[in-house]
Amino acid sequence: MRIKKEYKEVIVNIFESKKEFHKEKSKLPIEEKIKILLKLQEIAIKANPGKMEGKRVWDI
Amino acid sequence: MEKTIQVINQLKEEKLILDYAIGGAIASMFYIEVATTFDLDIFIKMNIEKGKLISLSPIYDWLKGKGYLFEKEHVMIEGIPVQFIPSYNELTEEALLNSKSTIYEDTNTKVIRPEYLVAIMIDTFRAKDKERALKFIEAQEINDKLLQTILVKYNLTEKYNNFKKLL
Repeated sequence: MRIKKEYKEVIVNIFESKKEFHKEKSKLPIEEKIKILLKLQEIAIKANPGKMEGKRVWDI
Repeated sequence: MEKTIQVINQLKEEKLILDYAIGGAIASMFYIEVATTFDLDIFIKMNIEKGKLISLSPIYDWLKGKGYLFEKEHVMIEGIPVQFIPSYNELTEEALLNSKSTIYEDTNTKVIRPEYLVAIMIDTFRAKDKERALKFIEAQEINDKLLQTILVKYNLTEKYNNFKKLL
């Protein structure tokens, strides 16, 4: 996708910082990631109850 | 998840499986950021007599004996739905053989290496596999040389290159 010249620097910076943010999240210990996963499971079930039949948050 | 892993380790100690490694979304989470999933995929290597069809019954019977319940294709082990997947082709066999030993909390376990995870994603190529493979590529968490070797060996290079062209 082409970016307009006057926006280029700002947009490139946003994309770069997003990339860094995701990279940092990747580096979290797996135990921390599992805690995040439990929250994501809860959100997913609440957000789409119809599509989540039979799914439940891990009971750990 | 530690208790679940301990039960799976017992399956190995009891020689019901020869080896295992965590695969799927949870394995991916060891290397990239969290993505929502509801089950734990366990790739297993079983002792198969030549010419006989494989059966998961010994594993299931043992788990039933321990009081773990079954829900469709999953076994609920210590609060987590676990799916046992016998290594079903040469790629998954090699992935399991080369899996990485690691520790979860205080328990030893094994996880499929990222390069094999990506190769398996390219092989299975469902929408969620493509999404996850893209995250691995973006996160640059793969040894490209090793990935290329695996892709060549299993004839997946063209599929991978076509996929990368879409990025």
